[in-house]
Order: sequence, then structure tokens, then C-alpha cells
Amino acid sequence: MSLRRQLARAIALFRGRQLDRELDEEIAAHLELAEHEARARGLDPVAARQQALRAFGGVDQMKEQHRDVRSVRWAENIARDVRYGIAGLRRDPLFAVVAIGVLALGIGANVAVFSLVDAVLFRPLPFPQPDRLVRWWEAPTPTSTNSTTVLNFTSIAGLSQSFDALSAEARTSATAVIEGEPVRLQGRLVSADHFRVFGVVPVLGRGFIAEEDRAGGPAVVVISHAAWQTRFGGDPAILARTLLLDNVPHQIVGVLPAGAFDRDKARPQDDAASFWKPQAFTEAQLAAGSHWLNPVGRLKPGISIEAARADLLAARQRIDDIIPAWKRSWSVVLEPYDEQLVESRFRQALYVALAGVVVVLAIACANLTNLLLARGVAREKELAVRAALGAGRHRMVAQLLTEASLLGILGAVAGIVLAEVLIRVAVPLLPAAMPYTAELRIDARALGWAAALGVFVSTAVGILPALRLSRGSLATSLNQASRGSSSSNDRIRRVIVGATVAASLVLVCTSFLLFKSLVRLQQVDIGVRAPRVLAASVDISREAYPTAEAASAFYRRFVERVRAMPGVESASLSADLPLEGTGGEYLRVPGNAADRLTVRFKRAGDAYFETLGIPVIAGRTFTEADRADGELVAIVNEALAADLRRIFGVNDPVGQVVDLPVIGYSTPTVRRPMRIVGIVANERVSPDLRAEADSIAYVPLLQAPITWLKLAARVAGEPLAVAPAVRQVLREIDSHVALADVQTIDDIKSRSLSGLREPAWLIGMFAALATALAALGLYGVVAHAVSARRREIGVRMALGADGGDVIRLVLHNVAITVAVGTLAGLAGSVAATRITQSLLFEVSSVDPAAFAVAAIGLLTVGLIAAAVPARRAVRVDPTIALRSDG
Amino acid sequence: MRLYMSIIDMSKDKADLPYGTLDLLVLQTLQTMGPLHGYAIARRIEQVSGSLRLSQGSLYPALIRLEQQGWIGTKRGISETNRQVKVYSLTRSGEKQLQVEVERWEQASALVARVLGARP
Repeated sequence: MSLRRQLARAIALFRGRQLDRELDEEIAAHLELAEHEARARGLDPVAARQQALRAFGGVDQMKEQHRDVRSVRWAENIARDVRYGIAGLRRDPLFAVVAIGVLALGIGANVAVFSLVDAVLFRPLPFPQPDRLVRWWEAPTPTSTNSTTVLNFTSIAGLSQSFDALSAEARTSATAVIEGEPVRLQGRLVSADHFRVFGVVPVLGRGFIAEEDRAGGPAVVVISHAAWQTRFGGDPAILARTLLLDNVPHQIVGVLPAGAFDRDKARPQDDAASFWKPQAFTEAQLAAGSHWLNPVGRLKPGISIEAARADLLAARQRIDDIIPAWKRSWSVVLEPYDEQLVESRFRQALYVALAGVVVVLAIACANLTNLLLARGVAREKELAVRAALGAGRHRMVAQLLTEASLLGILGAVAGIVLAEVLIRVAVPLLPAAMPYTAELRIDARALGWAAALGVFVSTAVGILPALRLSRGSLATSLNQASRGSSSSNDRIRRVIVGATVAASLVLVCTSFLLFKSLVRLQQVDIGVRAPRVLAASVDISREAYPTAEAASAFYRRFVERVRAMPGVESASLSADLPLEGTGGEYLRVPGNAADRLTVRFKRAGDAYFETLGIPVIAGRTFTEADRADGELVAIVNEALAADLRRIFGVNDPVGQVVDLPVIGYSTPTVRRPMRIVGIVANERVSPDLRAEADSIAYVPLLQAPITWLKLAARVAGEPLAVAPAVRQVLREIDSHVALADVQTIDDIKSRSLSGLREPAWLIGMFAALATALAALGLYGVVAHAVSARRREIGVRMALGADGGDVIRLVLHNVAITVAVGTLAGLAGSVAATRITQSLLFEVSSVDPAAFAVAAIGLLTVGLIAAAVPARRAVRVDPTIALRSDG
Repeated sequence: MRLYMSIIDMSKDKADLPYGTLDLLVLQTLQTMGPLHGYAIARRIEQVSGSLRLSQGSLYPALIRLEQQGWIGTKRGISETNRQVKVYSLTRSGEKQLQVEVERWEQASALVARVLGARP
């Protein structure tokens, strides 16, 4: 076929109606001329007309032939089916709205969750060769990881051969005064090679050079794109400016590109990092031996992660003689960078959400199939008539599939819109566990997923009605259509409804378990009894407060001013707030050289326990007398008291002397005996509420002063309302100190549920949606059964059946359907808990109460959905029913 | 694919139109007679072909195809019954195509004649 003709045929696709009209005119003219000629030969008008028609041949056949020749026929058919489908949907807008709505919910939820899963788990990191990036940890035991020391990092990095670039990363923060206002900026201390590890090139200026990463080197920083834009108004001359961090001017040498680093949060409660600063390790840091560095590296090409780990371990063993004996057994582990970004709990939550949303889509498809089948019954007569008029079976199947595809496309489009809305609503609510490298958006991949779902849905919902049509015989179709019912159709619909009930029950059971677990977690005693506590962080700089005495004087002035504020009942400073983690140290009991107990180590000011309402079990709390020049004292929590009894045989811990470190403010850390003066109730320090309560040793803040502080203030009214007054007080004491991370204890507690609350709510929503769909399906089946059997019901009632008999008749099959669906659903729920197990807390995965409540709840909803149309059956008037043709 | 062949009147008492000849007949008619409307083309083919008979309607699919190939063009004209009709005429490339078709036909019939002539 020539190119010219193909082009002409393609154009003819869009001119179908005009070409048809032209052809009609031509035929009319032809017949008129033929008739005219025949009459000229003396035939009468009727005979002339007949002869003209006979000579012409079949007009409709010729028209079909004409269309075949002039145009791409299959495309024309599809166009016509689509037009026909749209017309059908417009004729039945309720069906259209329900069908497209059901699909939009299914596909929209799917696309939204897919975008989330894709962003977090599947999309590669936004760095070159992301698979080369690794995080390096020390491993005190095979199952635990720890940060590393300056000594270990520098020696091992010097000996290792496996990395193109290595950087020791650590969280830091500093106060900058921007436009007269002290602001706490989050930052990172990194090695000179840090940006080479990530393959990130600053958009302005440069990264760090080796000279800047040495003790006494120049004070320089690289800032994030977001900080450049928001803090410095995108000043193009930014590289000429200095940033005053903790009163020390830092030269800005580079600005990072926009993107991942604008979202880099060290901990969920922090802001994103604004600046990066060279580590420039000092001799003191090298000697200190504290574990605070998190190295990240780029593997050399061709070096596997296993080979690199073996190399690191060998390097680590070569420095055995310079590290403390008790840490020599520690191993090193390497973890792909992308894996360590996503908490395993969040990863599991995502998989559970994905599974849930797939079930919802399956239920939506089942319901739509059901709707189409119900509609198919009503249309069987129409289709049978079309078949009788000569429409080919494959053309009719094609038409049904086209109609389903039309629904699929419209559903997918509506679903994408819905997904966009869902994502916009969800982004601020998403758990802080989202890795900084993830960017949540509807991209080509999500659109591809939506398209795939649209195709899947079209096929899934179109295939059954189409198959039934191609199997069924014309005669029975016509016959059945006249009775408005089809028993095999009913059977299929009942199977679908049963499956929907089962799938809904799986979701309902799962969500019950998750909610129950959530309730249990919310009931976990975090030790804090005080209801209204304002929490904030207050970091002072070592430059402004070079000695322990200066820092202590600041603590006292600040706390006294806060305590004097109206509405404040009690206030205290400490190093860490509840549930936000704290450092670890080890404890020994003098006279017992063998045993060593790792404990959480917490520095608390006086009134800390009183402010947070942590009950004192025995002895006393810290007072203002527990100063640097006083006796060294400690307080233990109940868990540690129990450990002391169990491991060291200390039956009355109060008065016992234990060996703990005294971490100097500007002096080296030494271990000293301390007297235990009190026992307090267990306070939760770990953000993971599911963990056992930690053993905690508290020391007075004044005996272990630090620069990073947390304020806790118990207030009479709304906690956040006193924040401005606190800020004012702080400004009066030192205008260079920022009040940051202002929040309440409740905020902290609620954050600890992040990653557990979201799946519960998501699955709960999916379960509600699924139940509604199942109820809709049940309603449809019963309503259809009632209307199809009106006549039978009428006869039975005329013969004396009462309302109970009629309801039994109508609900008999439905009850079996629901019962079978419920049993299958319970079995499915047990299977599903394999996935959800890890998200559950103190709830058995086969919790009988939750399963019973879920099953009874679903049965009730099902019965109500069935009862509404069943009641209609009772009200059937036999005289009317018998007279009607139904 | 010559779909239009399938709609030729297959009545037993009439000879079938040999395969591929309808194009040739249409083009030849337009060259001999000049621009014509559809009915006139059909009548002309009927007259010259004598015993060959085709449904007049089957002409139209062939006409649209020849038009799409660019071998014939259309204009608006007025019929004997004073109605607007499409008037077909041979184009330049149509004239060339006619030569090609005639040559091909002559070669084919010469071949057939030689084969038949060689019959013992």
C-alpha cells in the first residue's frame, strides 16, 4: 500500500462522518439517475426504482466495503465503541459515578501508596553510582551497631584500601544571629572528602580541601541550597560573606545544589542541616575515645561490600594494641547507604500499606465486575437484539471490553487526581522516618503504574461479562433477558461478593490488631506523669562559656528566671528529654572487677524529676547542693536498681557507691566513685516504646556540665503559650543563645508512635473502604435477587407465606455467601499477620477478641446491607407482583 | 488485498470480472470519456463489457481507493437530474498508472495466449 494511500486512510479516520455523508449523497444521485433513465425507457416509477436498486446491489454492504477500503477499520470501530460507551455512561450517570468513583478510590490510593513506596524504597538515591555508597559502623555484638571514635576512624581510614572517599560524619548545631535574631542551625561535621563521597558538586564555590580539615585550620562552611535561599535571600555574592556560628566568623566557601541535602535531618525531631563544617580533629578528641562518628564512604570500583568489610576488619585488628582491651572484640560492619536510611519499621509499614491498598483495588475491581454483570443482565436483551441484527460476537465482546477500558481510563485519570490530592495532604503528615533522599511526587513511574492499573482493571472487570456473552447462546439470552434474571450470573455475583467479604475481613482484622497495638503503645508508661510540659533546647557555645563555672552560672540564672515566670510551676535543665535517646556508659561496683553493666547515662538538673513528674521510689532527688564541689552523687531508676540487685547483689542501692565517668566540661573524662542517693520510677529514654525500659544512671548536671541543654518547664496552662516569655528571658540573659525545638512532652510522645500510627490509620481507612464496598456488593446482590423474584415472592405470599418465610427465602443464599466469606476472611487474616507481626506490640497476631469483633462487625454490616432490600421483599403486594411482567 | 473483488455479482450466468480489471476499466473509461460522475462510469463499463456484469455499487469502493492513490481527482458538478454530484477525472499520475496497468495486462494476456497456443 502506498504511503500516500496510508496517509489518506489515516486522515479518513477523522473524516468518517463527512465521508459517509458524501457517499450517501453519491448513492442518492446514482439511484436518481438510474431511476430517471429507467423511466425514460418507459418503466413506471415503482418498477424504475426497483430496477435502479437491483442494478446497484446491496447498499449497506457496499457502505461497509467503502469504509473498509477508505479507512483503518479497527481504529474506526474502537472510536465508535468509545462513543457508544460514553453515550451509555451518560445515559446512566449514577452507574458512571459509582463505577468511576470506586475505581478512582482503588487506583488513587494505589498510586499514592506506590509513589510513597517508590520514593522510599525503589527509586535509587539521587547521587551518582548510589550502590557504591556505604555506611560503616562498629558492631559491639553481632546484632548491635555503634558509632566510631576519632582514633578508630583515622587509623582504620589510613590503613584501608577499599574507598575512593571516606568521611566521618557527626551531627552538630550552632547558633547564628541572623537579622538580630539568634537562630539554631543544624549542621554536620564532616571530613574534607565528604562531598566527593556523595559525588555532589557545589553549585557555588567549592567543597572542602584537606588543609581545612586539620586542627587549627581556617573556619569555613558549606551551606545548603535551602539555607542560602531562606537565610540569605539567595544572595549571589554569598561567597564573599561570613556566617557567625556561635560567635565565630566562618567563611562560606560553597553552596550545595538544591535537592536531597535540603532535607537531611539527623533525627526526626531536628530541622534539616543548614551547614557543613570540616571535622578538623584535635589531639583531645583523638584521645577521648568516645563513639560519636558515623563514617560514610564511596567504595572503589570493583570492590564488593564484603571485600571492603574484610579490609576494614583487618585494618581494625592491626590497631588492637592502641584500643581499650574490652573493645577489641568489637567488629565492623558495612551497610549499603540506602538501606540504613530507612528504618526497618517504616519499611514494613510501607509494605503493609502496599498490600492493603492492593486488596482495596481488588475489592474495587470485584465490585465493578459485579456492577457490570448486573448491568449486563439488564443489557442482555439489547445485546441479543444486536446479535440478531447481525453484529458479530467478536465485535460485541470488543465493545464490552472497550466500555470496560473506558471505565478503566476514566477511573485511572480520576485516580491520578485523587492521588495528587492525597499526596499533598499526606506530605506534612508523613512520618519523619522518610529518608532525606526521598522526594515524594507523582512522576512518570507513578503515571506508568496508574496506566498499568487502568489496563489491569479494564481487563479484570471486562473479561467476565465479555466471556459470559461469548459463551452464552443467543436464544437463552433473549429468553432469560425477558425474565430479567440469570441464575449462573447470580452464582458468579455471589462468589464475587463472598470474596469481597473475605478480603474486607482481612483488612478489618489487620486494622483491629494494629489499632489495638497502638492503644497498647499509648498506654506504655513513659514515666512522665506531668501533663503540661514545655520542652525546648538551649545550646550555649563553648567560646562564650569556656569554663564549667561560666556554664553553671548560666544554668542557674536561666532556670531561676524561668521558674519565676507566672504560670510556670517547675523548671529544670537536662542533657536529654524523655524518649529522645541518651548516651550510654558503663557502670561498675567497687570491689567487683569482673562485672560491667552498660547503662543509659543521663545528666539531670535539680527539679528534673519533679518537673516531669517522675515518681521517686526511695531516697532523694538532686538538689542545688549537688554541685561540682559537692560529693559526687547519682540516682538510678528501678530497672538499674533491679540490675544492681541481680548482678552485683546490691540489695539496697541507696547509699551504695558505684563507679561512673565524670565527663569534664573542659577537662579529660575520669572515672570516679559516686554514691547512689535515690531510686526513681522508670523513665523511657529510647524512642522505641516497644523496647524494654532501659537501666538509667542519672548524675547532677552541675557535676557534669555540657553545652547542649534541654529545658523542661511544667506549666499551669497551655505549655506553648509560655514559649515567647521564655525566649524573652533567654534574650535578656544572652542575646546569642537561641531557644530551639520548642514543643511539648506530648509532641515527643506522639512522635515516638510515628511509623506505627500511620499504618494503623491507613489500614483502618482501607478497611472501612473495603467494608463499605462489600456492603454495597451485598446490597446489590440482595436487591437484585428481590427484584428478580418478585413474582415468586408474590405467589408464595398469595399462598400464605408470611414475612419471615419471604426473608428466609431471600436471605438464604446471602447468609451462606457471607458465612463462607467470613470463614475465608478469618483464614486470610491469620495468614496476613505474618506480614503485620513485626508492627504489633503486646498483641497476639491471632488475637481472638479482635478477630471476633471484626467478624461480628462485618457480619452486622453485611446483614444491614442485605436487610434493607429484603424488607422490600416483605412489602411486595402479591396482586401487583403477579400482574406485572417481572 | 483486493477486497472489492468479493462483492462482484457471482451469479452463475454471468462471467466474473477478471481479477484486478476494475481499476483498469475505470481508468480507461475516464481517459476515453473525460470527466464523468459515478453513474455514468458504471453505465459505460456495463455497456463496453457486454456480458460482464457487476453491481453498480461496487464501483464506489474502487473509486475512493483510486482517489486516495491520487490516480483520479474529483470536482463538483451537476447531474442530468440537476443534482450536485462528484465528477471524477483522470490525473497525471492516473494516466501513467493506466499505461502501467495496460502494459501489465497485455503482458499477462500475451503470456496466457502463448501458454494456450502451445497446447497440443
